[in-house]
Amino acid sequence: MQQAIPYKSWPLPCIDATSHRARSTTTLGHNGRGKDVLNIVSENAVIVLARKGCCMSHVVRRLLLTLGVNPAVHEIDEEDEAGVLNELGTICKGTENNKMVQLPAVFIGGRLFGGLDKVMATHISGDLIPVLKDAGALWL
Amino acid sequence: MPFSNLPLLVYIYQIWEEEGIEAIETWNVGEQELEGDEESKLSIALDINSTCAKVAFVIISKSMNSPTPQFVPSRLSIYEPIHQIGIWGENFKRNGNPNTSTSLIVEVDNKLENESETTSHEMLAPTNNYEQEASKPIDKIQRRLAQNREAARKSRLRKKAYVQQLENSRLKLIQLEQELQRATQQGLYMGGVLEGSHIGFSGTVNSGIAAFEMEYGRWVDVQHRQICELRTALNAHISDIELRILVKSGMGHYFELFRMKSTVAKADVFYVISGVWKTSAERFFSWIGGFRPSELLKVLVPQLDPLTEQQILEVCNLKQSCQQAEDALSQGLEKLQETVSSTVAGGPVAEVSYIPQVATAMEKLEALVSFVNQADHLRQETLQQMSRILTTRQAARGLLALGEYFHRLRALSTLWVTRPPEPSLP
Repeated sequence: MQQAIPYKSWPLPCIDATSHRARSTTTLGHNGRGKDVLNIVSENAVIVLARKGCCMSHVVRRLLLTLGVNPAVHEIDEEDEAGVLNELGTICKGTENNKMVQLPAVFIGGRLFGGLDKVMATHISGDLIPVLKDAGALWL
Repeated sequence: MPFSNLPLLVYIYQIWEEEGIEAIETWNVGEQELEGDEESKLSIALDINSTCAKVAFVIISKSMNSPTPQFVPSRLSIYEPIHQIGIWGENFKRNGNPNTSTSLIVEVDNKLENESETTSHEMLAPTNNYEQEASKPIDKIQRRLAQNREAARKSRLRKKAYVQQLENSRLKLIQLEQELQRATQQGLYMGGVLEGSHIGFSGTVNSGIAAFEMEYGRWVDVQHRQICELRTALNAHISDIELRILVKSGMGHYFELFRMKSTVAKADVFYVISGVWKTSAERFFSWIGGFRPSELLKVLVPQLDPLTEQQILEVCNLKQSCQQAEDALSQGLEKLQETVSSTVAGGPVAEVSYIPQVATAMEKLEALVSFVNQADHLRQETLQQMSRILTTRQAARGLLALGEYFHRLRALSTLWVTRPPEPSLP
Protein backbone atom coordinates (compact mmCIF):
# COMPACT_ATOMS: atom_id res chain seq x y z
CA MET A 1 0.00 0.00 0.00
CA GLN A 2 1.35 3.31 -0.95
CA GLN A 3 1.48 5.99 1.59
CA ALA A 4 2.39 9.50 0.83
CA ILE A 5 4.40 11.50 3.27
CA PRO A 6 2.32 14.44 4.37
CA TYR A 7 3.47 17.92 3.61
CA LYS A 8 5.53 19.12 6.44
CA SER A 9 5.50 22.66 7.60
CA TRP A 10 8.85 23.42 9.05
CA PRO A 11 9.26 25.27 12.35
CA LEU A 12 9.92 28.93 12.85
CA PRO A 13 13.47 29.96 12.25
CA CYS A 14 15.81 29.47 15.14
CA ILE A 15 19.45 30.15 15.53
CA ASP A 16 21.57 27.08 15.38
CA ALA A 17 24.27 27.73 17.94
CA THR A 18 26.17 24.57 17.20
CA SER A 19 26.63 25.25 13.55
CA HIS A 20 30.18 26.03 12.67
CA ARG A 21 29.15 27.71 9.53
CA ALA A 22 28.62 31.24 10.75
CA ARG A 23 26.10 33.02 8.68
CA SER A 24 26.66 36.70 8.32
CA THR A 25 23.17 37.43 7.11
CA THR A 26 20.17 36.31 9.05
CA THR A 27 17.39 38.11 7.35
CA LEU A 28 14.13 37.71 9.13
CA GLY A 29 11.78 36.61 6.49
CA HIS A 30 9.21 33.91 6.21
CA ASN A 31 11.14 31.47 4.19
CA GLY A 32 14.53 30.26 3.30
CA ARG A 33 17.28 31.10 5.61
CA GLY A 34 20.48 29.23 4.97
CA LYS A 35 20.69 27.19 8.16
CA ASP A 36 17.07 26.35 8.13
CA VAL A 37 17.34 25.10 4.66
CA LEU A 38 19.85 22.54 5.70
CA ASN A 39 17.59 21.41 8.49
CA ILE A 40 14.66 21.17 6.23
CA VAL A 41 16.54 19.22 3.68
CA SER A 42 17.71 16.66 6.16
CA GLU A 43 14.34 16.34 7.79
CA ASN A 44 12.40 15.43 4.68
CA ALA A 45 12.59 12.35 2.57
CA VAL A 46 11.76 14.36 -0.50
CA ILE A 47 11.84 18.10 -0.76
CA VAL A 48 11.77 20.53 -3.63
CA LEU A 49 13.48 23.86 -3.30
CA ALA A 50 12.21 26.43 -5.71
CA ARG A 51 11.75 30.07 -6.38
CA LYS A 52 8.42 31.55 -5.56
CA GLY A 53 5.90 31.09 -8.33
CA CYS A 54 8.21 28.89 -10.35
CA CYS A 55 6.27 26.80 -12.80
CA MET A 56 8.98 24.21 -13.08
CA SER A 57 8.63 23.35 -9.43
CA HIS A 58 4.99 22.80 -10.18
CA VAL A 59 6.03 20.31 -12.84
CA VAL A 60 8.26 18.42 -10.44
CA ARG A 61 5.59 18.37 -7.82
CA ARG A 62 2.96 17.06 -10.19
CA LEU A 63 5.26 14.34 -11.38
CA LEU A 64 6.12 13.20 -7.88
CA LEU A 65 2.48 13.27 -6.92
CA THR A 66 1.67 10.98 -9.82
CA LEU A 67 4.14 8.51 -8.43
CA GLY A 68 2.51 8.66 -5.02
CA VAL A 69 4.96 10.98 -3.33
CA ASN A 70 3.85 14.21 -1.74
CA PRO A 71 7.01 16.25 -1.64
CA ALA A 72 7.67 19.12 0.69
CA VAL A 73 8.07 22.31 -1.23
CA HIS A 74 10.19 25.09 0.11
CA GLU A 75 9.82 28.39 -1.65
CA ILE A 76 12.67 30.80 -1.62
CA ASP A 77 12.31 34.51 -1.88
CA GLU A 78 14.41 36.31 -4.37
CA GLU A 79 16.44 38.13 -1.73
CA ASP A 80 17.26 34.92 0.08
CA GLU A 81 18.16 33.04 -3.02
CA ALA A 82 21.86 33.80 -3.15
CA GLY A 83 22.32 32.90 0.52
CA VAL A 84 20.45 29.66 0.21
CA LEU A 85 22.32 28.61 -2.88
CA ASN A 86 25.59 29.36 -1.21
CA GLU A 87 24.63 27.23 1.73
CA LEU A 88 23.56 24.42 -0.49
CA GLY A 89 26.78 24.69 -2.43
CA THR A 90 28.78 23.83 0.66
CA ILE A 91 26.90 20.69 1.44
CA CYS A 92 26.93 19.56 -2.12
CA LYS A 93 30.64 19.76 -2.62
CA GLY A 94 31.07 16.10 -2.27
CA THR A 95 28.22 14.98 -4.43
CA GLU A 96 28.14 17.27 -7.44
CA ASN A 97 31.19 18.52 -9.23
CA ASN A 98 31.11 21.90 -7.57
CA LYS A 99 28.37 23.19 -9.78
CA MET A 100 26.10 25.83 -8.49
CA VAL A 101 22.82 24.33 -7.48
CA GLN A 102 20.09 25.08 -9.99
CA LEU A 103 16.59 25.83 -8.92
CA PRO A 104 14.29 24.02 -8.67
CA ALA A 105 16.39 21.52 -6.77
CA VAL A 106 15.17 18.17 -5.56
CA PHE A 107 16.56 16.57 -2.43
CA ILE A 108 15.93 12.92 -1.78
CA GLY A 109 16.94 11.30 1.45
CA GLY A 110 18.65 14.45 2.66
CA ARG A 111 20.94 14.61 -0.33
CA LEU A 112 20.82 16.72 -3.42
CA PHE A 113 19.36 14.65 -6.21
CA GLY A 114 19.30 17.17 -9.01
CA GLY A 115 17.13 19.49 -11.04
CA LEU A 116 14.15 18.80 -13.23
CA ASP A 117 16.43 17.43 -15.94
CA LYS A 118 17.75 14.76 -13.65
CA VAL A 119 14.34 13.86 -12.32
CA MET A 120 12.91 13.45 -15.83
CA ALA A 121 15.83 11.42 -17.09
CA THR A 122 15.79 9.15 -14.09
CA HIS A 123 12.08 8.67 -14.35
CA ILE A 124 12.22 7.73 -18.03
CA SER A 125 14.98 5.23 -17.42
CA GLY A 126 12.83 3.70 -14.72
CA ASP A 127 15.23 4.40 -11.87
CA LEU A 128 13.33 7.09 -10.03
CA ILE A 129 10.91 4.86 -8.15
CA PRO A 130 13.65 2.65 -6.69
CA VAL A 131 15.49 5.76 -5.50
CA LEU A 132 12.35 7.07 -3.86
CA LYS A 133 11.74 3.76 -2.19
CA ASP A 134 15.26 3.64 -0.86
CA ALA A 135 14.80 7.03 0.67
CA GLY A 136 11.65 5.89 2.33
CA ALA A 137 9.48 8.21 0.36
CA LEU A 138 7.55 5.38 -1.20
CA TRP A 139 6.34 2.12 0.11
CA LEU A 140 5.34 -0.65 -2.17
CA MET B 1 -10.78 23.45 -111.40
CA PRO B 2 -14.17 24.25 -110.09
CA PHE B 3 -13.54 26.04 -106.79
CA SER B 4 -10.56 28.13 -107.41
CA ASN B 5 -12.31 31.43 -107.44
CA LEU B 6 -14.10 31.08 -104.21
CA PRO B 7 -12.83 31.77 -100.71
CA LEU B 8 -11.85 28.62 -99.09
CA LEU B 9 -11.83 27.39 -95.60
CA VAL B 10 -9.61 24.82 -94.25
CA TYR B 11 -10.89 22.22 -92.00
CA ILE B 12 -8.26 19.99 -90.86
CA TYR B 13 -9.34 17.32 -88.57
CA GLN B 14 -7.32 14.90 -86.73
CA ILE B 15 -8.44 11.79 -85.18
CA TRP B 16 -6.03 9.86 -83.05
CA GLU B 17 -5.92 6.33 -83.95
CA GLU B 18 -6.33 3.72 -81.39
CA GLU B 19 -5.27 0.21 -82.05
CA GLY B 20 -6.56 -0.88 -85.34
CA ILE B 21 -8.36 1.25 -87.70
CA GLU B 22 -12.01 1.50 -87.47
CA ALA B 23 -14.64 3.36 -89.21
CA ILE B 24 -14.50 6.78 -87.77
CA GLU B 25 -16.86 9.06 -89.31
CA THR B 26 -17.98 10.47 -92.42
CA TRP B 27 -18.15 14.08 -91.92
CA ASN B 28 -20.15 16.43 -93.81
CA VAL B 29 -17.80 18.78 -95.27
CA GLY B 30 -18.64 22.34 -94.58
CA GLU B 31 -20.60 21.69 -91.47
CA GLN B 32 -17.89 21.39 -88.92
CA GLU B 33 -15.73 24.35 -88.44
CA LEU B 34 -12.94 23.96 -86.04
CA GLU B 35 -11.21 26.64 -84.05
CA GLY B 36 -7.72 27.68 -83.28
CA ASP B 37 -5.15 25.00 -83.29
CA GLU B 38 -7.64 22.43 -84.16
CA GLU B 39 -7.13 23.77 -87.56
CA SER B 40 -4.00 21.84 -87.61
CA LYS B 41 -5.77 18.59 -87.32
CA LEU B 42 -6.21 16.09 -89.93
CA SER B 43 -9.01 13.76 -90.43
CA ILE B 44 -9.24 10.40 -91.79
CA ALA B 45 -12.28 8.79 -92.93
CA LEU B 46 -12.17 5.25 -93.62
CA ASP B 47 -14.50 3.07 -95.38
CA ILE B 48 -13.86 -0.43 -94.30
CA ASN B 49 -16.73 -1.84 -96.07
CA SER B 50 -14.94 -1.92 -99.25
CA THR B 51 -12.37 -4.48 -99.99
CA CYS B 52 -9.61 -1.98 -99.89
CA ALA B 53 -9.26 0.51 -97.18
CA LYS B 54 -9.89 3.92 -98.35
CA VAL B 55 -8.46 6.86 -96.66
CA ALA B 56 -9.11 10.29 -97.73
CA PHE B 57 -7.59 13.45 -96.53
CA VAL B 58 -9.71 16.41 -96.75
CA ILE B 59 -7.71 19.51 -96.55
CA ILE B 60 -9.36 22.67 -97.26
CA SER B 61 -7.13 25.59 -97.15
CA LYS B 62 -8.17 28.65 -95.29
CA SER B 63 -6.86 31.54 -97.14
CA MET B 64 -8.77 34.65 -97.76
CA ASN B 65 -6.16 36.06 -99.93
CA SER B 66 -5.03 33.30 -101.99
CA PRO B 67 -7.33 31.91 -104.46
CA THR B 68 -5.68 28.64 -104.58
CA PRO B 69 -5.97 26.03 -101.99
CA GLN B 70 -2.88 25.53 -99.98
CA PHE B 71 -1.73 22.71 -97.96
CA VAL B 72 -1.35 24.09 -94.49
CA PRO B 73 1.77 22.93 -92.80
CA SER B 74 0.92 21.10 -89.70
CA ARG B 75 2.00 18.30 -87.57
CA LEU B 76 0.82 15.51 -89.61
CA SER B 77 1.41 12.04 -88.63
CA ILE B 78 2.33 9.90 -91.41
CA TYR B 79 -0.90 8.82 -92.74
CA GLU B 80 -0.73 7.27 -96.00
CA PRO B 81 -3.57 8.27 -98.01
CA ILE B 82 -5.19 5.99 -100.31
CA HIS B 83 -7.12 8.09 -102.39
CA GLN B 84 -10.38 7.80 -103.58
CA ILE B 85 -12.59 10.55 -103.87
CA GLY B 86 -15.49 9.68 -105.91
CA ILE B 87 -17.81 9.49 -102.99
CA TRP B 88 -16.74 12.79 -101.61
CA GLY B 89 -17.23 14.61 -104.72
CA GLU B 90 -20.88 13.90 -104.47
CA ASN B 91 -21.04 15.13 -100.93
CA PHE B 92 -19.44 18.28 -101.93
CA LYS B 93 -21.75 19.03 -104.60
CA ARG B 94 -24.60 18.47 -102.27
CA ASN B 95 -23.34 20.63 -99.49
CA GLY B 96 -21.95 23.41 -101.49
CA ASN B 97 -22.75 26.55 -99.63
CA PRO B 98 -21.43 29.72 -101.05
CA ASN B 99 -21.63 31.58 -97.78
CA THR B 100 -19.64 29.55 -95.42
CA SER B 101 -17.38 27.36 -97.27
CA THR B 102 -16.62 25.60 -100.22
CA SER B 103 -14.71 22.58 -99.67
CA LEU B 104 -12.25 21.10 -101.82
CA ILE B 105 -10.96 17.71 -101.59
CA VAL B 106 -7.38 17.52 -102.30
CA GLU B 107 -5.90 14.38 -103.22
CA VAL B 108 -2.81 13.79 -101.23
CA ASP B 109 -0.62 11.38 -102.88
CA ASN B 110 2.06 9.02 -101.93
CA LYS B 111 4.59 11.73 -101.61
CA LEU B 112 3.40 12.32 -98.08
CA GLU B 113 4.87 9.06 -97.12
CA ASN B 114 8.29 10.54 -97.43
CA GLU B 115 7.62 13.88 -95.88
CA SER B 116 8.73 14.68 -92.36
CA GLU B 117 6.09 15.18 -89.79
CA THR B 118 6.38 18.88 -89.39
CA THR B 119 7.15 20.08 -92.79
CA SER B 120 4.89 19.69 -95.59
CA HIS B 121 4.88 22.71 -97.67
CA GLU B 122 4.12 21.10 -100.84
CA MET B 123 1.50 22.82 -102.74
CA LEU B 124 -0.95 20.33 -103.72
CA ALA B 125 -2.73 21.23 -106.77
CA PRO B 126 -6.28 20.50 -106.53
CA THR B 127 -7.19 17.85 -108.82
CA ASN B 128 -10.16 17.08 -110.68
CA ASN B 129 -9.43 13.58 -110.17
CA TYR B 130 -12.53 12.06 -108.91
CA GLU B 131 -12.26 8.81 -110.57
CA GLN B 132 -12.05 5.77 -108.48
CA GLU B 133 -8.55 4.53 -108.06
CA ALA B 134 -7.83 0.95 -108.62
CA SER B 135 -7.63 -0.75 -105.28
CA LYS B 136 -4.15 -1.14 -103.98
CA PRO B 137 -2.74 -4.47 -103.19
CA ILE B 138 -3.79 -5.60 -99.72
CA ASP B 139 -0.28 -5.90 -98.28
CA LYS B 140 0.55 -2.35 -99.18
CA ILE B 141 -2.52 -1.26 -97.33
CA GLN B 142 -1.54 -3.38 -94.39
CA ARG B 143 1.87 -1.81 -94.36
CA ARG B 144 0.41 1.63 -94.35
CA LEU B 145 -1.98 0.73 -91.61
CA ALA B 146 0.95 -0.54 -89.62
CA GLN B 147 2.79 2.71 -90.15
CA ASN B 148 -0.20 4.61 -88.98
CA ARG B 149 -0.33 2.53 -85.86
CA GLU B 150 3.34 3.12 -85.32
CA ALA B 151 2.95 6.84 -85.69
CA ALA B 152 0.04 6.88 -83.32
CA ARG B 153 2.00 4.89 -80.81
CA LYS B 154 4.89 7.30 -80.99
CA SER B 155 2.52 10.16 -80.48
CA ARG B 156 1.15 8.53 -77.40
CA LEU B 157 4.65 7.97 -76.01
CA ARG B 158 5.56 11.57 -76.62
CA LYS B 159 2.40 12.68 -74.94
CA LYS B 160 3.18 10.46 -71.98
CA ALA B 161 6.67 11.88 -71.64
CA TYR B 162 5.32 15.38 -71.82
CA VAL B 163 2.75 14.70 -69.14
CA GLN B 164 5.42 13.18 -66.94
CA GLN B 165 7.51 16.30 -67.32
CA LEU B 166 4.49 18.43 -66.46
CA GLU B 167 3.89 16.40 -63.31
CA ASN B 168 7.46 16.85 -62.16
CA SER B 169 7.31 20.56 -62.77
CA ARG B 170 4.05 20.67 -60.91
CA LEU B 171 5.53 18.99 -57.85
CA LYS B 172 8.46 21.36 -57.89
CA LEU B 173 6.12 24.27 -58.13
CA ILE B 174 4.17 23.04 -55.13
CA GLN B 175 7.34 22.73 -53.10
CA LEU B 176 8.36 26.24 -54.02
CA GLU B 177 4.94 27.55 -53.13
CA GLN B 178 5.13 25.89 -49.75
CA GLU B 179 8.50 27.39 -49.04
CA LEU B 180 7.17 30.73 -50.08
CA GLN B 181 4.17 30.29 -47.85
CA ARG B 182 6.37 29.42 -44.94
CA ALA B 183 8.57 32.41 -45.57
CA THR B 184 5.53 34.63 -45.82
CA GLN B 185 4.12 33.26 -42.58
CA GLN B 186 7.38 33.88 -40.93
CA GLY B 187 7.44 37.32 -42.47
CA LEU B 188 4.00 38.08 -41.07
CA TYR B 189 5.05 36.62 -37.78
CA MET B 190 8.18 38.69 -37.75
CA GLY B 191 6.09 41.70 -38.67
CA GLY B 192 4.17 41.19 -35.45
CA VAL B 193 7.35 40.93 -33.48
CA LEU B 194 8.98 43.94 -35.04
CA GLU B 195 6.06 46.17 -34.34
CA GLY B 196 7.29 48.50 -31.67
CA SER B 197 10.16 46.32 -30.61
CA HIS B 198 13.73 47.38 -30.17
CA ILE B 199 15.71 47.46 -33.35
CA GLY B 200 18.67 45.76 -31.78
CA PHE B 201 16.64 42.93 -30.35
CA SER B 202 14.72 42.32 -33.50
CA GLY B 203 17.93 42.20 -35.45
CA THR B 204 19.17 39.36 -33.30
CA VAL B 205 15.86 37.58 -33.39
CA ASN B 206 15.70 37.88 -37.14
CA SER B 207 19.13 36.44 -37.74
CA GLY B 208 18.57 33.67 -35.20
CA ILE B 209 15.41 32.59 -36.94
CA ALA B 210 16.89 32.92 -40.40
CA ALA B 211 19.85 30.80 -39.38
CA PHE B 212 17.56 28.17 -37.92
CA GLU B 213 15.40 28.05 -41.04
CA MET B 214 18.40 27.35 -43.18
CA GLU B 215 19.80 24.75 -40.86
CA TYR B 216 16.46 23.05 -40.52
CA GLY B 217 16.08 22.82 -44.28
CA ARG B 218 19.41 21.05 -44.41
CA TRP B 219 18.41 18.88 -41.46
CA VAL B 220 15.36 17.61 -43.31
CA ASP B 221 17.44 16.77 -46.38
CA VAL B 222 19.96 14.82 -44.31
CA GLN B 223 17.10 13.09 -42.52
CA HIS B 224 15.69 11.94 -45.82
CA ARG B 225 19.04 10.62 -46.91
CA GLN B 226 19.49 8.75 -43.65
CA ILE B 227 16.11 7.09 -44.00
CA CYS B 228 16.97 5.86 -47.46
CA GLU B 229 20.28 4.52 -46.19
CA LEU B 230 18.55 2.72 -43.34
CA ARG B 231 16.04 1.17 -45.67
CA THR B 232 18.70 -0.06 -48.03
CA ALA B 233 20.83 -1.36 -45.17
CA LEU B 234 17.97 -3.28 -43.60
CA ASN B 235 16.97 -4.86 -46.87
CA ALA B 236 20.55 -5.75 -47.62
CA HIS B 237 20.96 -7.47 -44.26
CA ILE B 238 24.21 -5.81 -43.35
CA SER B 239 26.06 -6.74 -40.19
CA ASP B 240 25.00 -5.49 -36.78
CA ILE B 241 28.20 -3.54 -36.37
CA GLU B 242 27.58 -1.51 -39.47
CA LEU B 243 23.93 -1.11 -38.56
CA ARG B 244 24.93 0.24 -35.17
CA ILE B 245 26.83 3.05 -36.86
CA LEU B 246 23.73 4.02 -38.80
CA VAL B 247 21.61 3.88 -35.65
CA LYS B 248 24.02 6.09 -33.76
CA SER B 249 24.12 8.69 -36.48
CA GLY B 250 20.33 8.60 -36.75
CA MET B 251 19.92 9.22 -33.05
CA GLY B 252 22.60 11.89 -33.12
CA HIS B 253 20.72 13.63 -35.87
CA TYR B 254 17.66 14.04 -33.68
CA PHE B 255 19.80 15.32 -30.84
CA GLU B 256 21.26 17.84 -33.25
CA LEU B 257 17.76 19.12 -33.94
CA PHE B 258 17.12 19.57 -30.21
CA ARG B 259 20.31 21.60 -29.93
CA MET B 260 19.26 23.80 -32.84
CA LYS B 261 15.86 24.34 -31.28
CA SER B 262 17.40 25.27 -27.97
CA THR B 263 19.50 27.96 -29.62
CA VAL B 264 16.65 29.53 -31.54
CA ALA B 265 14.37 29.28 -28.50
CA LYS B 266 16.67 31.69 -26.71
CA ALA B 267 16.23 34.11 -29.60
CA ASP B 268 12.47 33.71 -29.86
CA VAL B 269 10.67 31.02 -27.92
CA PHE B 270 7.30 31.77 -29.51
CA TYR B 271 8.77 30.92 -32.88
CA VAL B 272 9.64 27.42 -31.69
CA ILE B 273 6.43 26.80 -29.83
CA SER B 274 4.21 28.02 -32.65
CA GLY B 275 5.68 25.33 -34.87
CA VAL B 276 5.61 27.66 -37.84
CA TRP B 277 8.89 26.12 -38.96
CA LYS B 278 7.16 22.80 -39.54
CA THR B 279 4.67 21.70 -42.17
CA SER B 280 0.98 22.00 -41.38
CA ALA B 281 0.30 18.33 -40.70
CA GLU B 282 3.27 18.12 -38.33
CA ARG B 283 2.02 21.23 -36.59
CA PHE B 284 -1.32 19.56 -36.00
CA PHE B 285 0.39 17.02 -33.74
CA SER B 286 2.68 19.53 -32.10
CA TRP B 287 3.14 19.52 -28.33
CA ILE B 288 5.38 22.19 -26.81
CA GLY B 289 7.22 22.75 -30.05
CA GLY B 290 7.66 19.15 -31.20
CA PHE B 291 6.31 15.64 -31.27
CA ARG B 292 4.74 14.03 -28.25
CA PRO B 293 6.97 11.19 -26.96
CA SER B 294 4.02 8.94 -26.14
CA GLU B 295 2.70 9.38 -29.70
CA LEU B 296 6.12 8.43 -30.95
CA LEU B 297 5.98 5.17 -29.05
CA LYS B 298 2.56 4.41 -30.49
CA VAL B 299 3.97 4.83 -33.98
CA LEU B 300 7.13 2.85 -33.33
CA VAL B 301 6.04 -0.16 -31.34
CA PRO B 302 3.90 -1.90 -33.98
CA GLN B 303 6.87 -1.78 -36.33
CA LEU B 304 9.15 -3.56 -33.91
CA ASP B 305 7.59 -7.00 -33.70
CA PRO B 306 8.63 -9.41 -32.48
CA LEU B 307 9.54 -8.20 -29.02
CA THR B 308 10.59 -10.40 -26.14
CA GLU B 309 8.52 -10.58 -22.97
CA GLN B 310 11.07 -8.48 -21.19
CA GLN B 311 11.06 -5.89 -23.93
CA ILE B 312 7.29 -5.69 -23.93
CA LEU B 313 7.35 -5.02 -20.21
CA GLU B 314 10.01 -2.35 -20.51
CA VAL B 315 8.23 -0.63 -23.38
CA CYS B 316 5.06 -0.65 -21.34
CA ASN B 317 6.83 1.00 -18.44
CA LEU B 318 8.38 3.54 -20.77
CA LYS B 319 4.99 4.40 -22.21
CA GLN B 320 3.66 5.00 -18.73
CA SER B 321 6.65 7.10 -17.65
CA CYS B 322 6.39 9.16 -20.81
CA GLN B 323 2.74 9.82 -20.23
CA GLN B 324 3.36 10.87 -16.62
CA ALA B 325 6.18 13.19 -17.59
CA GLU B 326 4.14 14.73 -20.39
CA ASP B 327 1.21 15.32 -18.08
CA ALA B 328 3.45 16.99 -15.52
CA LEU B 329 4.88 19.30 -18.17
CA SER B 330 1.44 20.07 -19.59
CA GLN B 331 0.13 20.97 -16.16
CA GLY B 332 3.14 23.16 -15.50
CA LEU B 333 2.48 24.95 -18.75
CA GLU B 334 -1.15 25.50 -17.78
CA LYS B 335 0.01 27.01 -14.53
CA LEU B 336 2.27 29.34 -16.49
CA GLN B 337 -0.67 30.40 -18.62
CA GLU B 338 -2.71 31.15 -15.53
CA THR B 339 0.13 33.14 -14.03
CA VAL B 340 0.75 35.20 -17.15
CA SER B 341 -2.95 35.73 -17.66
CA SER B 342 -3.57 36.98 -14.16
CA THR B 343 -0.49 39.18 -14.32
CA VAL B 344 -1.54 40.80 -17.57
CA ALA B 345 -5.09 41.24 -16.39
CA GLY B 346 -4.07 42.55 -13.03
CA GLY B 347 -4.10 46.11 -11.84
CA PRO B 348 -6.87 48.62 -12.27
CA VAL B 349 -8.25 48.61 -15.78
CA ALA B 350 -9.15 52.25 -15.38
CA GLU B 351 -5.49 53.12 -15.46
CA VAL B 352 -4.10 53.97 -18.84
CA SER B 353 -0.70 52.63 -18.13
CA TYR B 354 -0.32 48.89 -18.19
CA ILE B 355 3.41 48.77 -18.50
CA PRO B 356 4.08 47.25 -15.09
CA GLN B 357 1.74 44.35 -15.73
CA VAL B 358 3.11 43.65 -19.15
CA ALA B 359 6.68 43.95 -17.96
CA THR B 360 6.06 41.47 -15.17
CA ALA B 361 4.33 39.14 -17.55
CA MET B 362 7.36 39.33 -19.82
CA GLU B 363 9.56 38.01 -17.06
CA LYS B 364 7.25 35.13 -16.44
CA LEU B 365 7.23 34.24 -20.10
CA GLU B 366 10.93 33.57 -19.87
CA ALA B 367 9.91 30.30 -18.30
CA LEU B 368 8.63 29.19 -21.69
CA VAL B 369 12.19 28.62 -22.77
CA SER B 370 12.59 26.13 -19.96
CA PHE B 371 9.47 24.33 -21.06
CA VAL B 372 10.73 23.95 -24.61
CA ASN B 373 14.05 22.69 -23.32
CA GLN B 374 12.43 20.25 -20.93
CA ALA B 375 10.12 18.94 -23.64
CA ASP B 376 13.06 18.34 -25.98
CA HIS B 377 14.97 16.78 -23.11
CA LEU B 378 12.07 14.39 -22.58
CA ARG B 379 12.08 13.50 -26.29
CA GLN B 380 15.78 12.84 -26.15
CA GLU B 381 15.54 10.66 -23.05
CA THR B 382 12.70 8.67 -24.56
CA LEU B 383 14.74 7.96 -27.69
CA GLN B 384 17.72 6.98 -25.54
CA GLN B 385 15.69 4.62 -23.44
CA MET B 386 14.19 2.99 -26.52
CA SER B 387 17.64 2.39 -27.91
CA ARG B 388 18.59 0.72 -24.62
CA ILE B 389 15.58 -1.58 -24.71
CA LEU B 390 15.89 -2.60 -28.36
CA THR B 391 18.43 -4.63 -30.26
CA THR B 392 20.45 -2.88 -32.93
CA ARG B 393 18.31 -4.25 -35.70
CA GLN B 394 15.12 -3.29 -33.93
CA ALA B 395 16.47 0.18 -33.24
CA ALA B 396 17.28 0.57 -36.93
CA ARG B 397 13.75 -0.44 -37.88
CA GLY B 398 12.42 1.94 -35.26
CA LEU B 399 14.40 4.86 -36.63
CA LEU B 400 13.29 4.01 -40.14
CA ALA B 401 9.66 3.87 -39.02
CA LEU B 402 9.96 7.19 -37.23
CA GLY B 403 11.67 8.96 -40.08
CA GLU B 404 9.21 7.55 -42.58
CA TYR B 405 6.31 8.68 -40.40
CA PHE B 406 7.44 12.29 -40.38
CA HIS B 407 8.22 12.11 -44.06
CA ARG B 408 4.67 11.00 -44.75
CA LEU B 409 3.29 13.77 -42.58
CA ARG B 410 5.22 16.25 -44.69
CA ALA B 411 3.86 14.66 -47.85
CA LEU B 412 0.38 14.93 -46.37
CA SER B 413 0.96 18.64 -45.87
CA THR B 414 2.04 19.03 -49.48
CA LEU B 415 -0.98 17.15 -50.68
CA TRP B 416 -3.21 19.26 -48.51
CA VAL B 417 -1.88 22.44 -50.01
CA THR B 418 -2.72 21.24 -53.48
CA ARG B 419 -6.19 19.96 -52.83
CA PRO B 420 -8.73 21.21 -55.38
CA PRO B 421 -10.48 24.36 -54.29
CA GLU B 422 -13.93 24.19 -52.85
CA PRO B 423 -16.53 24.72 -55.57
CA SER B 424 -17.92 28.16 -55.11
CA LEU B 425 -21.58 28.45 -54.43
CA PRO B 426 -23.70 29.78 -57.27
